[in-house]
Amino acid sequence: MNRNASRRSFLAAAGLALPAAASAARSSDPPPAPPHAAVSATPALEYRILGKTGLKVTTVGFGCMITSDGSVIERAADMGITYFDTARVYQHGNNERMVGAALKSRRKNIVLSSKTPGQNRADALASLDTSLKELGTDYLDIWYLHGKEKPEDITDELIDAQQTAKQAGKIRFAGVSTHKGQAQLIPFLAAHPKIDVILSAYNFTLEPIVTTVLEQAAKAGKGTVAMKVMAGGFRRMTPTDPNYQKLKQDGGMLSALKWVIRNRGVHTTIPSMTDIDQLEENIKAMAAPFGKDDEKRLAAQLEYIGPLYCRMCGACQGQCRQGLPVEDMLRFVTYAEGYGQFALGREHFLSLAPGHVAASCGDCVSCTVECPHGVKVPERLLRAQELFRC
Amino acid sequence: MFNKPLLTLCIALSLASPAWAGDAPAPAPSCSLVPGWSQSGPARGYEAANLFEYMDGNAEGYLIYGFHSMNGVTCRQGEISFVIDLSDMGDTDGSYGIFSANRDPALPTDRIGMAGQVAPRRAMFVKGRWYVEIAANPEGDHSAALRAWLAALDQIIAGSTVLPEALAWFPTEGRQSLRLVPESVLGIRLLKRGYVAQYDFGKAFVTFEASPESAAGVMQKLRARFGQVTAANLADDAFQATDQYLGRLFVFRKGRLIGGYSIKAEGHDTAALAAALAAQVR
Repeated sequence: MNRNASRRSFLAAAGLALPAAASAARSSDPPPAPPHAAVSATPALEYRILGKTGLKVTTVGFGCMITSDGSVIERAADMGITYFDTARVYQHGNNERMVGAALKSRRKNIVLSSKTPGQNRADALASLDTSLKELGTDYLDIWYLHGKEKPEDITDELIDAQQTAKQAGKIRFAGVSTHKGQAQLIPFLAAHPKIDVILSAYNFTLEPIVTTVLEQAAKAGKGTVAMKVMAGGFRRMTPTDPNYQKLKQDGGMLSALKWVIRNRGVHTTIPSMTDIDQLEENIKAMAAPFGKDDEKRLAAQLEYIGPLYCRMCGACQGQCRQGLPVEDMLRFVTYAEGYGQFALGREHFLSLAPGHVAASCGDCVSCTVECPHGVKVPERLLRAQELFRC
Repeated sequence: MFNKPLLTLCIALSLASPAWAGDAPAPAPSCSLVPGWSQSGPARGYEAANLFEYMDGNAEGYLIYGFHSMNGVTCRQGEISFVIDLSDMGDTDGSYGIFSANRDPALPTDRIGMAGQVAPRRAMFVKGRWYVEIAANPEGDHSAALRAWLAALDQIIAGSTVLPEALAWFPTEGRQSLRLVPESVLGIRLLKRGYVAQYDFGKAFVTFEASPESAAGVMQKLRARFGQVTAANLADDAFQATDQYLGRLFVFRKGRLIGGYSIKAEGHDTAALAAALAAQVR
């Protein structure tokens, strides 16, 4: 398995497949929003200022990536949610089209962001023009470089593309989105004078360093936006997983969202929402503070995933005196026991280097690997060897 | 030497795998399928549990359509590279669903497998439960080579070439799009999964329940949700309602199916449209 395979290149190519279009002239006076009737029973909204951008955003925003019906987005805007996020690559551009249609009459009342998969100046600017066309707007409030992992990914030409777009009035603020490598990347972005907003994966299962660097970025004046706010603890569960359903029913998702919002270093969040029920539940996170019940739910979830589930943080890399690929082996045993995919786990295990397949944790008097998240590494590695080496 | 109890456990666990895992082996794309291409880097393999590692948050867009696994490879010919991914979406609704979400509605579809589409820098098609995507680099029109690849991949994939039956139920006149919505049809969680046709005046939809009884239960909950509803005489059960965001609604149940129209524009007879749709669904 190649984790470095170029999916991002794929997405880049896919995203740029649509013909680039010249952006429409920026209208100085967007049409007023229609007089939609007030949505009943809207709970109290909480606002924060998105760093030095000065943009006022609700702490619960709207991640549009998997939304399939624009009526949910329309309703969210009417309920008072002010921040909506999409990306050029979501649904191969169809997502931007749907978001644009839903927010058309509400554009001046909301903060709209999208992202570019472009890896160079020309591709990035071409994708911006396509985004503007698909979204039916002549400017984005925030335009992110999509899915960066390390400082070297923030190239001068991509920064130059953002500055060019700013000068042309096509974007108001420049951002970077990141799913991993936050400990190194966010401090770099926080110190970068041309980056205004940082969009990061952030949830209760991540290492404390992510909280620290986000707070530091906010103090440095950057706008901070959290995504995957619920995904961490649920990321390794599919919607058909009984525990996923249990957590959903028990309000675990809402607790996870509240956990993120309580961090003042996060200005807004972009949970994915597909229906009105989800919207109405998530919006409650702004009215109810994170409490003891939430803490209990998340603690139960951490307890559930703690000793068993590797979070791929990489802290164990190189720690095994036998040189075993600990992360990979933990994942393989999860395939077998977490997902009932024994054959898959074994297939991957047997594809390891022969020395690793043959190695036995029983040969070591003590284990040198310590997991910062409490995964019982020796037990899980022994389990992998028991299960698969037959 | 084999440890007998361990071997028994291995076999038992293998047998406990889901049914789909025991089907014919998943087809894997190979660069030798089209002459003149060579493999670049190792082949890829992902499952629902680790698709995030490949495509980060975009994985959610696959999981929602029932993604099971993916085999992929990158092929090169000179400076041109094609990133080829073949995904098992579990069933034909899932594969057609992700295809309909990802295709460009502004471009025509082709009859490749069940359905396909070729653009200058990307191509995709579905066949049975399999969904194939190819992305081309660098910039340029790679349509001809992409078509050759789709044809070659079509040969190695066994699967139905018949479109999901539901696609034929929706009127074609004025239709802008027709897609599978994997959850929360019309943004309503009660309507779990179904097809939605977008027209310039509104939407038509058909969702699937496990049984007529569960569909009747959903109808009851929908009535409660919309509050003021008017009973209508169509199929097994029907009602009309209005909603600020969905406009005028006409909802009917026919067996285990729930269908109807959501119309915001004036001048369209929701009852007549719903009756025509109800006559088509089976």
